[in-house]
Amino acid sequence: MMTTSHANTMTVKERPVSPLDKQPEKAEKRRDPWGVLLEKVGKNQDREAYRQLFEHFAPQVKYYAISNGIANLAEELVQEVFVSIWRRSCLYDWRKAAASTWIFTIARNQRIDMLRKMQRTSAEMAVETEDLWQIPGENEDEPVTSLHRLMSERRVRESLSHLPEEQITVIAKVYMEHKSHQMVADELDIPLGTVKSRVRLALNKLRVILQDQNV
Amino acid sequence: MTRHHPDSLSLMEYSAGNLSDPHALCIRLHLERCPQCRSRVDTLDSLGAVMMDHQPKVSVADTSFDQLMARIDNTPEPSPEAVARPKVDPLMKLLGQDINDLPWKRQLADVSVLDISDKFPGQNERVVLQKLVSGGKAPAHTHRGDETTIVLQGAFSDQNGVFNQWDFVVLNEEDEHRPVAVGCEDCITLSVLSAPLKLTGTFTRLLNPFLR
Repeated sequence: MMTTSHANTMTVKERPVSPLDKQPEKAEKRRDPWGVLLEKVGKNQDREAYRQLFEHFAPQVKYYAISNGIANLAEELVQEVFVSIWRRSCLYDWRKAAASTWIFTIARNQRIDMLRKMQRTSAEMAVETEDLWQIPGENEDEPVTSLHRLMSERRVRESLSHLPEEQITVIAKVYMEHKSHQMVADELDIPLGTVKSRVRLALNKLRVILQDQNV
Repeated sequence: MTRHHPDSLSLMEYSAGNLSDPHALCIRLHLERCPQCRSRVDTLDSLGAVMMDHQPKVSVADTSFDQLMARIDNTPEPSPEAVARPKVDPLMKLLGQDINDLPWKRQLADVSVLDISDKFPGQNERVVLQKLVSGGKAPAHTHRGDETTIVLQGAFSDQNGVFNQWDFVVLNEEDEHRPVAVGCEDCITLSVLSAPLKLTGTFTRLLNPFLR
C-alpha cells in the first residue's frame, strides 16, 4: 500500500494509462474458458457453447448426485441443473465467480431442492431453497470482492494439490456426500475433534495462500 | 463458543449445503450483512467446485443432452424478472410480518418469547425468537447442547461483550451468561436450540430459553 502513490506517479510519467485501467485487461487474459462459454450461452443462447459446458460438467453433476446418495435421481438432477444453467446464464458475470463455482452452487441448490421436495409432507415451508442458500449480494457491485472471487477458484485448486490426502478425504465427504463433521467422524471411526482439526488445517492452508497472494 | 461471526467449519457446512434449514437461515441472515464472511463462503464455494472436479466423473445417458434441449425448446422461457429473482428477506417471508408485531408471549417482566419451530416442518430443532425489552435483563442461564443465535434487532451485552444486530453467537453448557438489552431498541434474537436451556439463577419454574 505504501508504494501505491509513488507507483502511480511513475506510471503516469511513462505512459498515460493508469494501473487501475490496466487491471481489468490483465484479469481478462486470465478468464477461464468455461466462463467464456457460459457468457455465450447467456448473451446469444449459443447451443454449441452450452453443449460443451454440458459435456464437461454433466458427468461431474451426475457423480455429485450418486455420491450424495440419490443415484436413482442422478439423470434428473443433471437435467434440473442444466435447465437452471440455461435460464440463469444471462445473470452470470465472469468477474464475480468462476463458471465452475457458479455451477457448483446451482448443483448444490438443486440437490437441496430435490431432497426437500422428496421429503415434503403436507406442510410446506414459506421460504424457498434459494432464499436460504443463495448468497445475498450476488448481484451487487462489489469490486473488491469481485477480484477476490475471480481468483479464488484458481488459488483453491492450486492449494488443494498441496493438501495431505487425509484432509482431502474429509473435505470430499463434507462436499460430495453432504455429511456433517460428526457423520464423517463416525464413518472414518476417528474422533470429531480430529475431523475438525483436519478441516481447520485445510482451511487455514487455503486462507494462508489467499492472504499471501493478496499482499 | 463462537462470537460475532460463524466459524469456518459452519460456513463450510453452509457452502456444502449440509445444514438444517433453521441453521442455514441464521448463516444466511448473517451473510447478508457481513461482506467478510460472504467472501469466506465464496472461497468455500470454489472449494466445492474444485472438489466436484477432483472426483470421478460418470457418463450421462446418450439421450441426456437431446432430452435437455427438447425440454428447453418446449418450455416457455421464464420472464427475466422471474429469473433475476427479487431480493427477498427470508425472515419476513417466513414470518409474514415484522418481528415487532408478532404475537409475543411474555415470560418474565423483560423477556418475551415466540416458538417458531412449526415454520420449519420436518425439522427436529427448536427455533425460538426472544425479545428482551430495551434496558431489560434476562436471568442468568447456561445451555444444554449448542445453541446458535443471531441478533435480529437491537443489541445485548453480557460478560463477553456487546452483540449487535446481525452478530452471530454459538453457546453451549459451559457458557453461563446474563444478557442485558442495550441501546434504545428492544433486543430481538433468533435461536436454534438442540436442547432446552438450564437456569442457573433462583428461578425454579421451567422457563423457555432466552436465546442471547
